[in-house]
Amino acid sequence: MTLALSVLILGVLGVAAPALHRVSRGVAGVVVPAVPLGLGVWFVGRLWGLEGAALVERRAWAPDLSLDLAFRLDGLSGVFALLICFIGGLVLLYASSYMREHPRAGSFTGVLVGFMAAMLGLVLADNLILLFVFWELTSITSFLLIGFDHERASARKAAIQALLTTGLGGLALLAGAVLLGIAGGTFEISALPPGLAEHPLYVPAVVLILLGCFAKSAIFPFHYWLPNAMEAPSPVSALLHSATMVKAGVYLAARLHPSLGGTAVWDDSLIIFGGATMLLGAILATRQDQLKRILAYSTVSSLGTLMMLIGMGALKAAGYYLLAHAMFKGALFLAAGSIIKKTGEKRPERISGALRGAPVLAGATVLGALSMMGMFPLLGFVGKELTLKASLAHPEFTEIVIAVAAISGALTVYAALMVGVRPLTGAPAEGATRAADPSWRQLAGPVALALAGLVASVWPGLFVVALVDGIKAALSVEPPAPADINVAELLWPPSAATWLSISALAVGGLLYWRRRAYLRATAPIDRFGAVGPARGYEAALAGVLGLAERLTRVLQHGDLRGYVRLTLLVAMVAILAGSWRADLLRVPASAFEGFALLDVLLAASFVIAAIGATVQTSALASVAVLGGVWFMLAMLFVLFGAPDVAMTQFAVETLVVIMFVLVVLRLPGYSRLTSRSGRFVDASLGAVLGVLMGVLTLGVASRPSPETVSAAHAALSVPEGFGRNVVNVILVDFRAIDTLGEIFVLGIAAVGVAALLASSPTTPHPGPRQRRRSVILETGARWILPVMLVFSVIVLLRGHNEPGGGFVGGLVAASGLALQALAFGAAMVSRKLPVSPRTLIGAGLLIAVASGVPGAIASGVYMAPLWTSVTPPGFPEPLKIGTPLMFDVGVYVTVLGIALHMIFSLEEALHDRAPVA
Amino acid sequence: MIALLSLSVAALFGAGAYMLMRRSLVKLVMGLVLFGHGANLLIFTMARAQRGRPPLVPEGAEAPTAPFTDPLPLALILTAIVISFGIVSYAIVLIKRVYQDVGADDLSIMTTTDR
Amino acid sequence: MITVALPVLIPLTAGALCLLVWGRARLQAGLAIAALAGMLASSAALLIRADSGAIDVMHFGAWDAPVGITFVSDRFGALMSVLASLVGLAAAIFSVGSLDPARARGGHYPLLLTLVGAVAGAFLTGDLFNLYVWFELLLLSSFVLLTLGGTRPQLEGAIKYVTLNLIGSLLFLATVGLIYGATGTLNMAHLSRLVPELDPTFATALAAPLLVAFGIKAAVFPVFFWLPASYHTPPPVVSALFAGLLTKVGVYALIRSVLLFAGQETGLLATVVLWTAGLTMLTGVLGAVAQSDMRRILSFHIVSQIGYMLMGLGVSMAVVARGGPEAGGLAALALAGSVFYIFHHIVVKTNLFLVSGAVIRARGDSNLAGLGGLLATHPALAGLFLFSALSLAGIPILSGFWAKVALVKSGLIAGQWAIVAASLVVSILTLFSMMKIWTGAFWGATPASAPPAGARERRLGASIYGPIAGLAAVTLALAAGGSVAFGFASRTAEQLLDPADYQRAVLPASVAPASAGGEG
Repeated sequence: MTLALSVLILGVLGVAAPALHRVSRGVAGVVVPAVPLGLGVWFVGRLWGLEGAALVERRAWAPDLSLDLAFRLDGLSGVFALLICFIGGLVLLYASSYMREHPRAGSFTGVLVGFMAAMLGLVLADNLILLFVFWELTSITSFLLIGFDHERASARKAAIQALLTTGLGGLALLAGAVLLGIAGGTFEISALPPGLAEHPLYVPAVVLILLGCFAKSAIFPFHYWLPNAMEAPSPVSALLHSATMVKAGVYLAARLHPSLGGTAVWDDSLIIFGGATMLLGAILATRQDQLKRILAYSTVSSLGTLMMLIGMGALKAAGYYLLAHAMFKGALFLAAGSIIKKTGEKRPERISGALRGAPVLAGATVLGALSMMGMFPLLGFVGKELTLKASLAHPEFTEIVIAVAAISGALTVYAALMVGVRPLTGAPAEGATRAADPSWRQLAGPVALALAGLVASVWPGLFVVALVDGIKAALSVEPPAPADINVAELLWPPSAATWLSISALAVGGLLYWRRRAYLRATAPIDRFGAVGPARGYEAALAGVLGLAERLTRVLQHGDLRGYVRLTLLVAMVAILAGSWRADLLRVPASAFEGFALLDVLLAASFVIAAIGATVQTSALASVAVLGGVWFMLAMLFVLFGAPDVAMTQFAVETLVVIMFVLVVLRLPGYSRLTSRSGRFVDASLGAVLGVLMGVLTLGVASRPSPETVSAAHAALSVPEGFGRNVVNVILVDFRAIDTLGEIFVLGIAAVGVAALLASSPTTPHPGPRQRRRSVILETGARWILPVMLVFSVIVLLRGHNEPGGGFVGGLVAASGLALQALAFGAAMVSRKLPVSPRTLIGAGLLIAVASGVPGAIASGVYMAPLWTSVTPPGFPEPLKIGTPLMFDVGVYVTVLGIALHMIFSLEEALHDRAPVA
Repeated sequence: MIALLSLSVAALFGAGAYMLMRRSLVKLVMGLVLFGHGANLLIFTMARAQRGRPPLVPEGAEAPTAPFTDPLPLALILTAIVISFGIVSYAIVLIKRVYQDVGADDLSIMTTTDR
Repeated sequence: MITVALPVLIPLTAGALCLLVWGRARLQAGLAIAALAGMLASSAALLIRADSGAIDVMHFGAWDAPVGITFVSDRFGALMSVLASLVGLAAAIFSVGSLDPARARGGHYPLLLTLVGAVAGAFLTGDLFNLYVWFELLLLSSFVLLTLGGTRPQLEGAIKYVTLNLIGSLLFLATVGLIYGATGTLNMAHLSRLVPELDPTFATALAAPLLVAFGIKAAVFPVFFWLPASYHTPPPVVSALFAGLLTKVGVYALIRSVLLFAGQETGLLATVVLWTAGLTMLTGVLGAVAQSDMRRILSFHIVSQIGYMLMGLGVSMAVVARGGPEAGGLAALALAGSVFYIFHHIVVKTNLFLVSGAVIRARGDSNLAGLGGLLATHPALAGLFLFSALSLAGIPILSGFWAKVALVKSGLIAGQWAIVAASLVVSILTLFSMMKIWTGAFWGATPASAPPAGARERRLGASIYGPIAGLAAVTLALAAGGSVAFGFASRTAEQLLDPADYQRAVLPASVAPASAGGEG
């Protein structure tokens, strides 16, 4: 996996770089650039050996997601790999001096190298998903680098803008890549079959993929983010935003051209959007007054040119233009960075002549600028000539293409002059610092790249032809014609292209000479910015934010009743739809059989009470009515043979009523807060919900009763559960784990009640209050307590056979103590108690939990019951004592503790003062 | 009989829903209580109850004499009642505390945490 | 096997013990951490067993299903139990360094324990009513945790949280009654055999209120309001605990019950689930975009990500409904996406809330307006946040990415364009609001108001960084071992889609299809 390794090496270097910087900046400054340069040399070696073939490595990673570790080194990826490694290495060398004073130079280098790793992975990836992986990583690293000087708000804004634009494109690419994979039947890029145009998914896939490419490569209408990205330090501008990352879109377009190209959708989109961007970028570049922004817009123009050339299928021209641009634009960005750093001035007009003392820097700048103009005999010249030739050769709407190419050419000449000549000429502005040449580290990059642009064209055989041949070989189905060139032949005999480029030079020069007039004349163009896509981005963002604001204010309005209404409404709709489809709304006659007067009375009183509770005007009254409802519920249970339920119901509801009263007494009476109409709406909502629940109940209950598991419960209760009270056996044995959860709920409730009351903002009541003592009550309480305790134990023990059980028993015991509390005050009683109620709860819960352990030990099954018989004094027949009983004891203790805990904390609450509000 | 029980279920749920949509916290909790009883009564209906036939096994018998009320729903209700007791008692104290802090028994002024 | 009950019994026992040593915060904290570590260990053991394909069961009281209550540890249940204990452990440790003494003494630790125990119970139980019991226990524990300390915002949030969740619970309770009335059983495995024999529309009528109830618990559109109203009010560590666990119990129950009732009108269920998923993810993310407070942003993102979790379920249901040769694998892929997403979401979201807690501790505020410059003052925290935030946004190859690709891929193959488009828009907006937090809180200049980095009460100790780094490590493992983890998710999904093994493991052979009663 040598290719994967090359990516990994850079990744590791990126992680290690900050630490390396901390150790020694000097060492880091040498080692970090050396690695990618070394890698570059290694790639040269590999490419040499390939001779047009491809080096492929594949290892499955996540087959379900069709994500393979597939890497492919061929002519195209090779060229990009070389650009990344060599330019990257030079930029890192440059940065080691450029960022020397910066406190976070270490992390800067780390992220930069991390980006290079991602970029290298992107061009080497031979799997659509894997390519997306690296694609996104370049976006994130770019985000971090653009916003590197994050104290500046403008930098943060630009970073977000770039991330959102490229990120959105990335997601489009993901969808497009998956569609392409589905259409092509493989996610292996090199295996994608040609001529997918017939597939129904072709058009959506192409559109989505182009969206991704355009966003990434700052193609109109997404061009706006690139100039703003100049907030990044110059090394970043040179590497990401001219030489490599922004070319990822171009790379992908070229890479997929063989399988997706040849259709109007693909070719013409590339030509149209590419051409538009080419022209637009060139125009806007001339409207900038800052070095880096001029370069940025001219980069936009170049990216458009490349897209157009790919669309035309002019791979040779694209190849040369790509290489030329990478070299001169890299050189110019680095040089510009040094110039700005030296002079502290961004605008060429002001820099004028400041570079007199910096011959080398000036030289590199000029050489780069000349190549950018397309001046003979530099590589830029070759690129431009071939571009013009391709435009001239293009069959469709040729005139427009030529015009666009020519005009852009001329304007690019102007821009190049502004960048490369303006800073050197003219008298130094007063107060302008006279810059000297920077350190060799900062010079190496610009000089090397500028010279490369010269050498490449005068000695094509050296490497440039081989590279372009490689690109063509990688992208053409049939063996391509050799891409050899001869600079002289391009110039002489003069062709139409030659005349075009000469006139472009002339016009550009003229514009530069008369630039004041030109700028005055073209001033209106700036207004395009006010309506252009940049504003579109702003508008879209603002739109989303506004929508979010409004929607959230509407939905999350804060009034609980609205939430409740909506929630109940959802439930109603669901139930209505369900029961309507299931035809439950038609009530079967059988449901009305076997009425007894008693039943009718009960039901009637239910309805009356329920409605009554809603219409009461005083809280106390509605509590009373509620009490009525509870009472009748309990009656129902008594009547229909559920004595346990009835007993519990009585006990529990008594407690609840007491608590309600305690609270209600302290609240103001009701006031009619809702309008009549509002009440009517709610009433009808409530009515509908009620009816629906009733219908559902009836619909299910009136069906023939299914075989129930409770048949087993009834059958097993005595023989294996040793209890004649089936309900209780279910509670403490068959479904004891339910009860365990239940008593934990009670325990938590008690803790919660105590905690809430403890956090009351009320003033603590002063000392022991005067309580009216009642001799009868006290003596009564004194005598009754032991009786009730004994009785409670009996209830507990008989629970397994007769109605009763731990829960009721615990409540009985608690009520005995409650009586004491009434008589002597809670404070006194709780003092008397050997343990705190909370401890009782804990202990009870532990007993209940522990009751399951013996069984677990004996048979490995938690709560497996173990039984033995004993005959305690006073009991006629021997008692079955077993772990379920122990469990019930746990319940008893817990409930006792809970009841006491609540009674005590509420007795406290009874005496608190009115709120201090 | 089932029809009558269903009617009662309807009444409890309906009244509960209405109470839940009041502005008074006390009514809110009462609404929850009524809802809870609606659910319990619903489960009780599923027991296809037999009047006067508790699921108790007579002395010496092996199983309760059919027909008897389905014991499982009763057990479920018992658990549900106790659980709702715990939760309701907590809710009651909660509204008491809210009243102490907010100073009014009115939900519509409690919209700060959503903004 | 007793082991299946341990993840529930250990924390509950520890919770009860805490009541005996009331008010001794240190001791309780130690107890909680030890218990949760034990719970993690036992859950991990279950997970290892479960991934071997074995489905361990525990028939409480040795009563065979469906007579008694059965706990079941299949891949999904065991995984969720592991996550519950992981989140609980992280929260317990974080509490030590971040919680005020009053709350720490006032019952924070026992409540945390019962909450986590109940959550595990909900994940492991194989009984519908027992599920209700665990729901109530975790609900009440969360109520009390939410109000512990009793500040006004807490109480206000609690009112909404309590009311809406109780409505959900009671709806659930009623539906349990209906289902018992219709089938005569409460055991889920038994139900999965009996439900297909009901007539389809009737089964759907029973499913409808159940899904609404679980939808409320899972905070889906349009019943999520309780979540953004309350999650930002308690101490950050409590928010983190809630964010990690509560809604996921709802999602878990939703997935289980949809699969339970899906046998019949699958297409209809799929449509409902997909619409819910789409609207939930969109409204949630827009809500987040509208916020300017770290915790509120994160809270709304929970809602939107619940949508993602349902998306996989919906797509897989749709595929099953359509049928065809490739259906099985594709349905599994989509559901695996959901499973993986839940896994990733629980860890990452909890961690982000913990980070917000650290920020609040460091700066006393989590509103972006008052923050900035944390990258300079707390670089380590910044790194941990960025890592988790990018994971949440699904940046390759971090954990979120794997789920995203699975969902997008399966959605596109299934031809569910709309939901895929929605999910992609949501993911860019998620990235946006994560970077909003990053640029607002960590980038930029430190505001003058910020306390000096070294201020004693503002210092972040090991108990703050420990859990955050730990959860980040889990996320990293999930990212690096993404293919392995996704393989597990796929196996989980396959197991979920084919209930046969589950039924065999839980029910005795004697319980033939259609027959009830469990004397066997």
